Amino acid sequence: MKRNVILISLLCLAMFGCNKKSDEIKIGVYGPFSGGSAPMGVSMRNGAKLAVAEINAAGGVLGGKKLALIDRDDEAKNERGGQIMQELLEKENVIAVLGPANTGVANASTQYTNQKKIPQIINIAAGAKVNEFFAEGVDNYIFRIAASDDIQSKVIVGQALKRGAKKPALLCDDTNYGQNGREKMEKVLAAAGVKPVYIGKFKIKDTDMTAQLQEAKAAGADVILAYGIGPELAAVSNSMDRISWKVPMIGSWTLSMSNYTTNAGKNGNGTMMPQTFIESVATSPKQQAFLKAYLDQYKESPISSAVSAAQGYDSVYLLKLAIEQAQSTEGPKLKAALEDLSTPYEGLTGTYTKPFSSTDHEAIKEENVLLGMVQDGKIISSDK
Amino acid sequence: MTEVLQLIISGAIQGMIYALIAFGYNLTFSTSKTINFSLGQIVMLGGVTGYILYIDMQSGQLSGLPFIVPLIGVLIIGALAGAVVHKTAVEPSLKFKSEYTWILATLAVGIIIKNGVEQLWSTGDFRMLSPLGDNVLRFGGVGVYAQEILIVIVSLAIVCGVEMFKRRTIYGKAIQAVSEDKATASLMGIPEKFVITISFMMSASIAAIAGLLVAPLTFVSASMGTVLGIKAYSVSIIGGLESGFGPLVGGLILGISETLTARYISTGYKEMPGFIFLIIVILFKPNGLFGKKIIKKV
Repeated sequence: MKRNVILISLLCLAMFGCNKKSDEIKIGVYGPFSGGSAPMGVSMRNGAKLAVAEINAAGGVLGGKKLALIDRDDEAKNERGGQIMQELLEKENVIAVLGPANTGVANASTQYTNQKKIPQIINIAAGAKVNEFFAEGVDNYIFRIAASDDIQSKVIVGQALKRGAKKPALLCDDTNYGQNGREKMEKVLAAAGVKPVYIGKFKIKDTDMTAQLQEAKAAGADVILAYGIGPELAAVSNSMDRISWKVPMIGSWTLSMSNYTTNAGKNGNGTMMPQTFIESVATSPKQQAFLKAYLDQYKESPISSAVSAAQGYDSVYLLKLAIEQAQSTEGPKLKAALEDLSTPYEGLTGTYTKPFSSTDHEAIKEENVLLGMVQDGKIISSDK
Repeated sequence: MTEVLQLIISGAIQGMIYALIAFGYNLTFSTSKTINFSLGQIVMLGGVTGYILYIDMQSGQLSGLPFIVPLIGVLIIGALAGAVVHKTAVEPSLKFKSEYTWILATLAVGIIIKNGVEQLWSTGDFRMLSPLGDNVLRFGGVGVYAQEILIVIVSLAIVCGVEMFKRRTIYGKAIQAVSEDKATASLMGIPEKFVITISFMMSASIAAIAGLLVAPLTFVSASMGTVLGIKAYSVSIIGGLESGFGPLVGGLILGISETLTARYISTGYKEMPGFIFLIIVILFKPNGLFGKKIIKKV
């Protein structure tokens, strides 16, 4: 009997504790915080944390409520993405979700946010389904602030053709992400009437790309269009050096990740990629303040994935604007607010006036995208 | 022509790495009749230990220690790991007279090593610098890294050295004797258990050295040994688990077939011919190309 009383009082205390926390607004954030994609996930989380800290320091939202990030590591594994999403939605009761970085993870988890009618802003995964949900006729709660594969392939192919390439070779990893990119690049090339002379693929953790490159070389390729993540793309550059073949390489935005630039070393020089944020040309006061805060907080310069950090930061602010406009944290109201944001937002990756609409959930358009180039381990801006 | 030559050389070097690890499998199989399935993870342990001792993780540059430090460190870690695997996974299983417990036990040790490194060190990929520099040397159009030449020399030296040791010295003959017939060797006054422990320590040190050697060519990460371990295992089977020089041939077959397939058929199928060959070998020469025929007296 006595034990029951203690238990019940403990339970009450626990519930009281929970109740007390209710002036916190929980936002889920998930991404790869370990493994080959970790620079993206960790930088994104850092960016989001900075934004949340700023907002809370300025008094929070909805009359003093604080934002709280609930972060989970999806290890870039598709099935982990689904599990985490269910946990965030059912157990943590988050009001919105930010992330993830990997296309496969996103596609394995976005169904849950849609079902639960909780808005999700994808802030890295470029190939994840976003506007595609409209065509499927579902009530679409998925938004994105990242250059989608469609836009990236347009920029990549456009730049290659502009620079006089006639015989592109495509080299992509065999994940959802790489193959999605390959398909989109092929489409853009076909629209321009160009046929790739070679299409190759590689596996995650492959370190010798000699065979693929030789085949591309034998086919007379004059540019490599690559889609993958840091370590393997670095292996492509290193293998090119090995067979002493030098043609330009243009590829997915992930070529700006630190695990590309450090692992490729001097072989990475000249590689180009679409970017939404480049540290060396981030000159606006807001961008400068962000870079300084990031350096103070995380002691990292250059940021291991500056694009992810900036997009993570901006995604939090877009959500904050939506919460204030909706004066609520209910999913459908937030979605309506996001689709019709009345306040323009000057972010790190661009200035957004009505970034989303009820038929377009992509914030980044082709004109927002910059062209980055690797130069001695740093990303500099190149003419588009 | 240079293209084919480049592919064959790349493949052969890759094959040498497989061979070196496979040689480690053979060493313990010959004495204990078990296979240490955690060997791939010990390869990784060697790579990671070498990286920690040789490279400053923050800057990715040399930490300033001479290469002899990581070399010795890796040898010690390897020997320790071998002793631990034997004491914790293999010896107890053999004591139970269980035929197969050691398979699960060594696999389990491998998983523990991998998860341990992920927890205590990092899950990222890092670039190890070669002590011989990272520039490509050119021989008439064929690009080779100095590190790769080192791999070939060290692998051959280790395999020949250990074989000589086994055939020419009294201690080596003790190992031979244990592998021929444990009971008789024991009766002849050879400390059978000790010999087996030593063979595990040697095998694991060789695997760890293989990890240190491949690190500058692959990236260093907690998962770097998994695939190497599996491929080296099939090289062992192709070459013959009881054979000393068999793994060298097996390694060359697997390595060269991989690069040639990747280039002339498809990169997606690059592992296929090697494994098809493995199945053929198992079907027609179950003891491997160079394996001794075992006559089991009943």
